[in-house]
This record gives sequence, structure tokens and C-alpha cells, in this order.
Amino acid sequence: MPIEQIETESLLSAILQGLPNTIEKIRDMRDSFLTDAVLLGEIPSPTYGEEERIRAVMDRFRENGLMNPMVDEFGNASAHLAGTEGQSSIVVMAHADSVFSPEVRHEIQVGSDTMTGPGIADNALGLAAMISIPRILSELNIKLRDNLILVANVKSLGRANLEGANGFLETMSLPAKAGICIEGSTLGRLSYSGLGTLRGEITLQVPADYDWKRFGAAGAISHLTGLINHIREIPIPKEPKTQLVFGGLKCGSSYNTSPRQGSLRFEITSEGDELIGQVENQLNEICEQFSAETGTHVQMEVVAKRMNCGIPFTHPLVKTTRSIMQQAGTTPKVDPSTGDLNALILGGLPAVTLGLTTVENLRETNETVHLDPLYGGMAQVITLIQAIDQGICEL
Amino acid sequence: MSTKEQSWLERNTFHHSVFWDLIKLVEEKERKGLKISLCIPTLNEEKTIGKEVLILRSELMERYPLVDEFAVIDSGSEDKTLEVAQNYGADVYLASDILPEVGNKRGKGENLWKAIHQLKGDIICYVDADISNIHPRFVYGLVAPLIHRDEVTYVKAFYDRPLNYSSGIRPSGGGRVTEILIRPLFSLFYPELSNVIQPLSGEYAARREVLEQIPFPIGYGVETSHLLDLYEKFGLETFAQTDLDRRVHRNQTTNALGKMSFGILQTFFNRLHAQGKLDRMPDLDTFYRRFEVEDGNYRQLIQEVVEEERPPMIDIEGYRNRQNPS
Repeated sequence: MPIEQIETESLLSAILQGLPNTIEKIRDMRDSFLTDAVLLGEIPSPTYGEEERIRAVMDRFRENGLMNPMVDEFGNASAHLAGTEGQSSIVVMAHADSVFSPEVRHEIQVGSDTMTGPGIADNALGLAAMISIPRILSELNIKLRDNLILVANVKSLGRANLEGANGFLETMSLPAKAGICIEGSTLGRLSYSGLGTLRGEITLQVPADYDWKRFGAAGAISHLTGLINHIREIPIPKEPKTQLVFGGLKCGSSYNTSPRQGSLRFEITSEGDELIGQVENQLNEICEQFSAETGTHVQMEVVAKRMNCGIPFTHPLVKTTRSIMQQAGTTPKVDPSTGDLNALILGGLPAVTLGLTTVENLRETNETVHLDPLYGGMAQVITLIQAIDQGICEL
Repeated sequence: MSTKEQSWLERNTFHHSVFWDLIKLVEEKERKGLKISLCIPTLNEEKTIGKEVLILRSELMERYPLVDEFAVIDSGSEDKTLEVAQNYGADVYLASDILPEVGNKRGKGENLWKAIHQLKGDIICYVDADISNIHPRFVYGLVAPLIHRDEVTYVKAFYDRPLNYSSGIRPSGGGRVTEILIRPLFSLFYPELSNVIQPLSGEYAARREVLEQIPFPIGYGVETSHLLDLYEKFGLETFAQTDLDRRVHRNQTTNALGKMSFGILQTFFNRLHAQGKLDRMPDLDTFYRRFEVEDGNYRQLIQEVVEEERPPMIDIEGYRNRQNPS
């Protein structure tokens, strides 16, 4: 075995030995980050409306004595924990936006073993965990050689197309060597690749001069149903793995009036970028044909598009992450990401996304996180930061 | 409103945001050698107690050591209130175990009263257990005036009170007993006290030396009695009040509010009787006083409401003539 490999394994082994202690320390100091999860989670933070939550994150960055706390031109909050050498940096990101609108009551209930409320898993808990990293490192007396860059990124979900994360990485001034994305859900998640994705919205409108006497005349609901049937005829191959999901349908508001307009939201994910392009073309053709045949106005808008990206399963970062998970008693579940990880990897950084704990009712208003597995989930993140810092996650 | 009352309102009414600098507040507390105890009285509050204990302990004992002692005093909950509170590190006591020689009465006032014996602080801050939007301001906003101003002995909270319904939050409707019962009573009998914007708020902080000098009704009258008794002993000057913004809490049924009003009226009339105001009724004031907040300024609105009366119709000659024309 080459000497470098022996050294790496011995360094990793030493770090892994500390994992049980890290879990216990985190359990002992849980109150501060559970508090942050509740206080942040109770601030509504829809995509494009994250300002108030970001202000609260900035308060915490300042209170924790981090360097250069700032909100950039995209609205992301970031701060640095200076390393002893500072030659390079590790980026830790957690998205600050939530799928819930401000009209939803953002109230988190705290039980002995669970916390429940809209957005607690996705991603108030991830955000709170990111904020708590400097305190945990300090409690564990871990001094990093690298700088740690903490980012609460905005405009991550839905139509935002990772605008916040992309903007941050494009303008980041410090050289970075790896990235970690933290999500509340789900413990065991290991993402090291980003799926090619296309998100779009098709709007259908029945024009004012529509001929209601023509053969097949119908309101927007019937037309949208017909359109969906056409779309479902697009052949979706097993290889490369591809999926077409209808995520939202809006149409009508009464019992007895045919609506004149409606919209359909969809997402195509695929391991083949070319295939995404082909499906996009087919969708455009279907919309054009349907519009012409029915006398309706049908338009497709692409709101987000991402290329496939990733690092290999055998990359030292992935390998080390798997070892850490196994040591923590967690079975890694490989789960390609469609989130911020894509921005990091396409930005040239080896990166992974980790989930913190087990979750029920994800993205429902009664989203629930379990507290007991959380401490192990947090310990994984801390241990991975240590491993990256010690240089054992590099090719 | 008199100049004295206006001056009190301006000097002794705060917004919690002026006390945001908790490091300075803790320094001042330590400089004055004060100890602060926080008490949450409970009865079957498992849904909200975990969050209250978690946030208040973590923020005000661990992050900023403003509170020295944190106790949950319980009236005998049958749900998981005690387990959850203990899990997040509160000292948990059964009211019946404190001062057992004086016996046990069941009610929130009993817990507040026994807290004076059980807790060691120079200042005791009471916070209700049913606040679903709990935040550290519910404590630091109340203890800060006591830390900064030696002459202040008792600080009341006031807030917007949206009600928590299963279908969501409604923007107004809280404080019905205050508006319908207490404010008219204060306007009639204790006009100066009508400057206290939310006399029934369940959150307040006070110095031990005043709490130990007043009786505590066990039930609904405790907040009213505090105001009446301390006003009688020390006057308006020793009171202060803090705007805590929004407090989301459970909605109560009209029946429950009726029961509450009945308890408060007993306390109120007991005081009137003890102070000789029932036997020697003064001329009742005709000015009704209520509050309005505009652009952060608190303004008392005074409206004259004169309830004129007509005599029995039988006393009116014209009526009698019409009824008996002969």
C-alpha cells in the first residue's frame, strides 16, 4: 500500500474514533441549535421573500463572532470562520427558502422527541445546523486549518433555479476546495451528483373570441386534460434514467363555470442532458399543435434548467463520507440532487449533500423531524468538515 | 388626561426593541447584583411548554445569562407537561409540594404565589404557558425596565393579540374581558390605572419586595388584584409597561370568558369594599378611557359617556293624563 494511502487511512481512522464523542457533545449542546431551528422556522421565507429570515441568520453570524458577515447582491447571507492557515476554504451551504407561503401559519411545536411545523425539515433545521457549526467546533476544541465559509443561500427552490447559490459561487473571492450542502431531510441521504433538470409551466388560455359552437369546444379544464394526455404519450426511456413529473395544476374556481385559463407545472429529470433537450422539443411541438387544433393559446415557459453533473462514487470525498456514515451507524442512500449541490459541482467544487435526521410529512404543514437521530446527522457533518480540512478528501 | 398621567405614559411605556442589546442588559444586571427568576405556571400545557422552555432557557440562560433560575410550577397536569418541561431543562415543581403546611389550592394564582417562596430571585418574571409565538422578548422586555430603573417595581406586558383558530390566525379579537369589563371599571373607579394598556396580560415581572407584600387571588382575579393593591400602596409611578408586539394564544369560549369575568368582579368588589369605596361611593367618573397606537405612539382616547336616565313613565303627568283622561 502506498505511504500516502496509509497516512490517509490512519488520519481517517483517528477522525472516525472521535465520532461517538462528537455525537454526545452535540446532544449536550442541542438546545442552541434547536432554538435556532424554531426561531428561524417561524419566520416565513418563501423563495424570493427570504429577507427577514436572512436578517435573523445575520444576527446569529454576528452573535457567534464570525468574520465578514454580509448579505450579497443576490440576498445570500455568508460569514467566515478563519482557519489557522487559511490557504483554502470549505463551503457549507443551507438554503434559506421554504416551499410555504407567508399565509401559512409558521408555528413550530416542540415535543420531547420531535419538532413539528411547516418547513422545519426543509430547511429550517439545515439552516440552524449550518449556523451552529462554529460553536460545535469550538466546544470540541477543533481548530480548522482551512477557512470555513458558511452560506445561507436564497432563491434555491422552484422557479428560482438556484439563483442564490449560483450567484454566491460566481462572486466568491476565497479559493475553496470542497462544499457541503445541509438539508434537514433525510438522515442517510448521500448526494454527490446533480440530475439534469428542466422545470416548466404550460399555460392554456381560451381566447375571448373562442367559438364555443365548434366541434370539441370545451373549457380550460377539459383542454388541459387533453393536453396532459398528449404529453403522457411522450416515450420516457428507462436508460438513461428519466422521469416526467406533473407537480401542479391550477384551473377554475367554481362548480358551474367553465374556466378560460389554467396552468400545468412539470419537471423532467434525466441522467441524459440530450434526452432532456429532446423532451423539451417534443413538449414545444405538442403545445404548438394543441394550440392550433383547439383554437386555444398554449404557451410553455421553461423556468429552470440544469445540466447533469457529479463526482464519481470513488471520489475521496464520497468515499470518506460513506465511511463516516457507516461509522455513525447510518446506511448511505445514494440520492441524486436537483438542488444547490448542482451549483457547487458545476462551479467546479467537489461537493456532497447530507441529510440530518428522519422526517415525516415532508413539505406538508405538519412536517415533523425526529430529534434523536439528529445528533448523529450533525456529527456526520462536523466529522466530514474535519476530514476535508485534513486533506483526506482530495484526489 | 392629566399632565402627570401623560408624563407617566411617556416615561414608563416601552417597546421591547429598545432593550435588544442583551449583553448590556446582562452587564447592568450583574453590576446591580440582581438575580432574576423566571416562572411559568402550568396546567396541561404539553403543546406549548417544550418550545417555551427550550427557547427561553437557551437564549436567556445559556447564550445570554440574564435569567438565573427557571421554574415550571404545575397545578397537577395530567398530560406530558412536566416530562416535556424537564426534558428541556426546566426545574419542575408541583405547587402542592411547596409550603405544604399552608395547604393546596388549585389555580394559577396559587402557583404564582408559591413561586415567591420557592424561587430565589430579586426579580420574578411570570410568563403564561400558552404562548405559541414565544420569543426571548417576552422576558427581557419585562425585566429590562426593572434592571435599568430602580424606582420601577412592577412591569406589565401589552401586545397585539391575534387569536389562534384551527383555520389560522385572526388579526384581532383578543382582550375581550379587558375591553368589556376591566377598562370600563377602571375608567369609573381608578381612572389613573386605565393608563395600563393591557391590565389582564399574563406576562409581568416584579421585584420580590412588592410581590411579598400583596395577597394573591388563586383564580382569575390575580392580575387585577396586583394592579389594584400595588396602586393603592405605591401609586402609578412604580408601574411600567412594555409592548411585546404580537402574542398568539388560544381562543377562549364566551362561557370561559364569562367565568373569568365573574372571578375578576369578585376580586374587584372585594377591593372596593376594603377601600371603603362601596360604602362611601364617590361620584362616578363619566369619562371612558381606551387606547390607540399610531406610528409607535401610545395615545389614550377619552370619551365622555353620560348615561342619562328618564324617570318611570308613571311619574310623567302627560302620560298619566293620557292613560286616565277622566
